[in-house]
Amino acid sequence: MIRCVAWLPSLLALINLMRPSFFHHLHPPTIPAPQAQWRYTLGAGGIAVFLVLVLIITGALEMFYYTPTPDQAAHSVQTITYHVTMGGVIRNVHYWAAQFLMILMTVHLIRIVFTGAYKPPRRFNYLLGLALFVIVVLINFTGYILRWDQGIQWALVVGTNLLKTIPLMGDYLYEILIGGSQPGSATLIRFYAWHIFGLTLLAVILMGWHIFQVRRDGGIAVPPPSLRTDLQRITRYELVRREVLAMLLTSTVLIVVAGFAPAPIAAPIEEITAFSSDSRAPWFFLWVQQMLKWGDPFLWGVLAPLATLTVLVLIPYIFPHPHESELGRWFPKSNWLARLILTMIAVLVLGLTLLGV
Amino acid sequence: MDTTRRLTALAAGLLLIGSLLVVWAVFQRTNPVALTPSLTGQTEYCLTCHGDLPEISTSHPIKSFGCVICHGGERLALDKNLAHSTLRGGANPSALSVVELSCGGSDCHSGSPQASRDHIQRVMTSIQATYTGAIANILYTFGAQPDLKAHFGAFAVIDNETSTGITSLDAFESSKEDNPSIQTFGKNCLTCHISAAPREGDHFDRLTGCAACHTPDVESFPEGKTHGLTTAIPYTQCNTCHNRGNYDLRSMTFVERADQPTDRLHDYYQPIAQFTRCEWTLDCVDCHTRTEAMGDGDLHSNQSEIQYIQCKTCHGTLNELPQTYTITSEDDLALRLAFLNPVVDLQVGDTILMSETGEPLWNTHVLPDGTYEMTGKVTHQQFTFRPVMGTQCKQNPDEQESKYCHQCHAEER
Amino acid sequence: MPEIPRRDFLKLITTTLLTACGLLGLDTVIRFLHSPTNSPPQTVFDIGAALEYPVGTRTLLPQIPVVLIHDENGFSALSLICSHLGCTVEKKADGFICPCHGSHFGENGKVLRGPAGKELRSLRVETTPDGQLHLFLN
Repeated sequence: MIRCVAWLPSLLALINLMRPSFFHHLHPPTIPAPQAQWRYTLGAGGIAVFLVLVLIITGALEMFYYTPTPDQAAHSVQTITYHVTMGGVIRNVHYWAAQFLMILMTVHLIRIVFTGAYKPPRRFNYLLGLALFVIVVLINFTGYILRWDQGIQWALVVGTNLLKTIPLMGDYLYEILIGGSQPGSATLIRFYAWHIFGLTLLAVILMGWHIFQVRRDGGIAVPPPSLRTDLQRITRYELVRREVLAMLLTSTVLIVVAGFAPAPIAAPIEEITAFSSDSRAPWFFLWVQQMLKWGDPFLWGVLAPLATLTVLVLIPYIFPHPHESELGRWFPKSNWLARLILTMIAVLVLGLTLLGV
Repeated sequence: MDTTRRLTALAAGLLLIGSLLVVWAVFQRTNPVALTPSLTGQTEYCLTCHGDLPEISTSHPIKSFGCVICHGGERLALDKNLAHSTLRGGANPSALSVVELSCGGSDCHSGSPQASRDHIQRVMTSIQATYTGAIANILYTFGAQPDLKAHFGAFAVIDNETSTGITSLDAFESSKEDNPSIQTFGKNCLTCHISAAPREGDHFDRLTGCAACHTPDVESFPEGKTHGLTTAIPYTQCNTCHNRGNYDLRSMTFVERADQPTDRLHDYYQPIAQFTRCEWTLDCVDCHTRTEAMGDGDLHSNQSEIQYIQCKTCHGTLNELPQTYTITSEDDLALRLAFLNPVVDLQVGDTILMSETGEPLWNTHVLPDGTYEMTGKVTHQQFTFRPVMGTQCKQNPDEQESKYCHQCHAEER
Repeated sequence: MPEIPRRDFLKLITTTLLTACGLLGLDTVIRFLHSPTNSPPQTVFDIGAALEYPVGTRTLLPQIPVVLIHDENGFSALSLICSHLGCTVEKKADGFICPCHGSHFGENGKVLRGPAGKELRSLRVETTPDGQLHLFLN
């Protein structure tokens, strides 16, 4: 017993040696303590990065079994779900990580606007973030389509038909997207390629750029040192520890949710034009589906979402910026208009989503 | 700073506990039971839950057929709702709306009429499925059609190779009729054709489609455990529609028979019926043939056009013996039917009775002394009987239908 | 007994727990990757009535692939999968020759020339009570 205990310090020394300094070097040497708190950042950006890693790993695992052909796709999803050892859990983790990512991205966006962190020089990075947001929505939608079962039929037909309503170039865009005049095997393989490669590659590159740009812009947004009351800083070691803690908590939630809340699944599509009882859009498009009930599909299905996106893009350009002294904390008084606009958009989208549920 | 360290240790513990919980929950699930039937070669997992069901019949062994080829459903799914979401006809794949998908195919029950494998085509045009007789009679009686010919059926159907002159039926929709009696008829009197759900009550309990007849005794099985197909159909199954009461044409309602008999003699026919001993000791299918019950492939206007077996089919008349023939081929229909319900050991070279239209009465046998033997398809009982010829029968030569036999031979009860 | 600093103790616990999580995850991934999803190949073949193969005949059944032998000792079968690296051997006048690496087997499956080291596999054939032949691959 004593001998064993005597071994402990040398074992601990070994662990210290194994510390992966690479991950520490991805972080700045120190960051300001008041801004390194959960209640300031909500941890949203960092957890989003972790979720992307989870998605890449679980997605790669799913690729070992998924078959992107119309007659096999839904069956291979059933095989993963029911017959591959732990396949159901891995598929559920992939599914839930994707949905959590959508939520955390939104939380991250709200945090940035509500703390005024988009103020120049961070304006460009704000745009990178919005681009990432759009791409992740598209990745989520293409992944949803890959199930190729009766649950996605409506979304596929309506979602792609929306493109056709765009004047002049609509039909052309439609054919580029689905690879023919009607959804079929070409559509599935295209969505697969976009999902696992095209969009994912773009997202990973933009994500790297987004993170790099945070450091290029001087780290997390804070007032200049002369205006700060609390000059304390934390080391990158403590920062990594907090990140690890966030990852562990996220992993726990993800695994437990995945273990007990199955991802949606339905019977394979027989005919792409056949009636499907499930006519609901994926949850993150329910607000668009609700607007489509109001009339002209081009207006409500294409222009309205694009207008929403445009307002978000314009936030750092047309609304007053918060004063330097107001950076690094929530609700800077001077950007109330930007906050109001974002709140209105959020309430509208949320309200429409709840109507559609 | 130590707070983060302590929380991290705690979170690591939580993650391990959470992961172990999920792994435990996954391995807690029932092990899937795989079956790869030789006809499809595709593994299905239905037996994970349905391992306790009996094999449906010896002609459909599960090793060859599996479940999905007939029932549809999601062969890979282990979730009840998903697995059952694409079942054909719900629990009954023989429902006429899906029967072609479930039981059809040229190797199965929609083969050629020459090979007598056109079961589905025959049933779809049969009186028991179309109910043309009752519909035509009512429409004629209330002046909605000029003749007694079939124009409407329980569902629309087309017969391209008709020999009765009726090439198609439209679906009968009582809601489109003006006459209130016809509307009431549509509401109250369309529960007997085999695609209709039966009336409430144990006496009426049966499935629809092929299973209406071939899956007997539904009410005796526990819920959801009915799994059987047979050609040994007891009279009780026929009696889920027949002999259960009468339609009152004035009120257009079905009046259930009032007695509640518990023995075969009284249960078989309604109280007013006249019948002989063999008619209640045998089962309906012992005398009535496949074309009478399942149709001959043509659309008919009335039951009387298709039902033809009489006492004389087996007993002959004073002047004529019943028709017989000797089985010469291994592929003879009689041998195939006997194979499905092996109550008799029928061989090539055996001589059996034959109906007026040439259908084999395969459960009969001509004995060397000129008498006949019949084996009950359900009861397995053996009966010997004699031809009328050479007996003291005083029957008038032009009164040969069964109702005249009943005048002397009716059973008292 | 040496002192263990509090922080190092926490680190040891964390590392142990995370190692356990990692091993569990690794085990999960290995099990995940090792789930066969194709239906298992056929191992029993119904090759028809025994009467179709009279005594003294050798019948090539290329789908399986085997050669079915009926001699005075009854039915037996010889696998046509080369014992070297699994190509299908070809029937020649004096036995079987593998097209891949030239192994030469005699009529009875014995190796006449390498590189194959083992003779062709002999397979079990059974006659059912109603005279049907069943061939077993293992």
